[in-house]
Amino acid sequence: MTWPLVLRSLLRHPIRTVLVVLGIAVAAALLLDMVMLSGGMERSFSRMLLSRGFQIRLSPKGTLPFDTEATIPGITPLLGRLHQDPDIAAAGPVVAASLHARVRDTLITFVGYGIDPAGQGLYEVRRGTDLAPGDTTGLLISEPVIERTGWVIGDTIALLGRLDPGSARAGAERRLAIRGVVRWLYDARGQRSLGMSFRVAQQLGRFPDRDVASMVMVKVKDDAAVDRVAARIGTMHRSIEVNSVATLVRHFRSRLVYFQQLSLILATISLVVGVLLVGTILTITVSERAGEFAVLRAIGLRQARIVALVMAEGALLTVIGTALGTGLGLATARYLDRILTSFPGLPAAISFFVPAPDATARAAAVILIAGIGAAAYPAWLAARSPIAATLRADAE
Amino acid sequence: MPNPPVILARDVVKNFSVNGQTVTALRGVSLSFGAGEYLAITGPSGSGKSTLLQLLGGLDLPTSGHLELMGTPIERLSDGELADLRLRRVGFIFQRFHLMPVLSARENIELPLAEAGVRPAERAARAMELLDYVGLSSRADHRATQLSGGEMQRVAIARALANRPALILADEPTGELDARTGAQILDLFDRLHADGTTLVVVTHDDHLAERAARRVHLLDGLIDRDEIAGR
Repeated sequence: MTWPLVLRSLLRHPIRTVLVVLGIAVAAALLLDMVMLSGGMERSFSRMLLSRGFQIRLSPKGTLPFDTEATIPGITPLLGRLHQDPDIAAAGPVVAASLHARVRDTLITFVGYGIDPAGQGLYEVRRGTDLAPGDTTGLLISEPVIERTGWVIGDTIALLGRLDPGSARAGAERRLAIRGVVRWLYDARGQRSLGMSFRVAQQLGRFPDRDVASMVMVKVKDDAAVDRVAARIGTMHRSIEVNSVATLVRHFRSRLVYFQQLSLILATISLVVGVLLVGTILTITVSERAGEFAVLRAIGLRQARIVALVMAEGALLTVIGTALGTGLGLATARYLDRILTSFPGLPAAISFFVPAPDATARAAAVILIAGIGAAAYPAWLAARSPIAATLRADAE
Repeated sequence: MPNPPVILARDVVKNFSVNGQTVTALRGVSLSFGAGEYLAITGPSGSGKSTLLQLLGGLDLPTSGHLELMGTPIERLSDGELADLRLRRVGFIFQRFHLMPVLSARENIELPLAEAGVRPAERAARAMELLDYVGLSSRADHRATQLSGGEMQRVAIARALANRPALILADEPTGELDARTGAQILDLFDRLHADGTTLVVVTHDDHLAERAARRVHLLDGLIDRDEIAGR
């Protein structure tokens, strides 16, 4: 008898009930979005860094990967030592260079990545073929490059390096044939990047005579050994920065602390709004139906039953509101994510709002408990009101 | 050993606080009656009739004095025990019917049965039996708000009878009804009495009072007359 009574009681004022449910849905959606936002970037960042399974990054001392234009010197002997390490499955150097090409009389600038195809964690091949080891004439392009240039697989492109901005004369030039179309994992939306062999990019880059790389990515055979291997590399090569993905995520987290505090504050506000909504509406309901509750007690319902009835109303409102709010939260998160990830300079693969089943379940549980808890005071009022006095007042 | 009286009240006093002032509704009422009696409590407005009825049904506790319901001193009972007493041993009928408006006639009758832990099939059968008793089996699935005043009061009577209580307490049961409908309710009360139900009715209605076998007249919170019909 509890649920029919609860459901029909709520439907006595359908507009009021719908408005309260919508209010709870908005509060739940905001809470869910804030929960997704507070941990989402961190999860997304970690997922992005580990997307090709490379758990360690080596970068110039005192910098994070691609944080500055500094380079790691002595890259060939360093790679030799890394390849000899029995715990390491792969180690791939990356060197970045600013490159140019003429397309219909226009000089277009590209980001060039020099990579070792045998150990790369920068891209995924979408069409065509990857560069073969030792391929010094091949080129990889991406969709933004195609959109700007109209190049297709098989085209041969003349790439210019070390361009003098005053004279527009290049210090180096190489003709490379397009082998495949790739998705660059860390590129910003619309970024035009080209991939080529590590040695070719070195020759086209700023320091053709130096044996340098911008970064080295290392894949460790056993995930459990990552910290140990990172520490060992760091001890052996004190002139370079060695970071595991976990360390990079920690750096990232420290930069996001204000973001997380903001999320926490907004989540708390949404929770308070939800609690106030449920508490207020049920207090009004209990006040309006004081006579009914007195009659229920007069015919023998215990105080605990009255408490259960009112709390069940709170629970039902909150459950429906939270269910709607979850859908609303996911939809608004997707919309907001599209806006935020379109900011220039951000990797396209990163997300601000990442739905995580455990975090979503926790957020839903928190608002459910809060909503049901908010019904406690009106439930107590309904159960504790004196029967005879309430019936007398109701009769007057 | 003889059965204890259904109600035993000794020097029952009830005070209320109204705007900070103490108002005495009952000044020392002593009353006793046994199973199967049909008692009418009469008196002018403010004489303490409804207050006495509420005390007899365990809806409130006396300020002083002693009150036993079927041998149980109610002032010693916890709130839960009082609720259980009202559920299983007392049935209430109110002037304004006080049905749950969102429930059907049958569901209103099932409500105290469900609280008493009666299984769904059994309580549905009992509710239909009671609706048949009050002549409303055809209105079982109508919401309380879809019933006329007389029908609502008959459903309220059926609800009061649901857990086969030892005592039925009715507060102005015909107060909201027209004369013809009121007469139907009085007929129903006669039938309940004939079936052995103990009835206590608070009323202004002389017709109703005349049907009761015993009439207790209250005046200013005291019993003014206690008459047995035909004496």
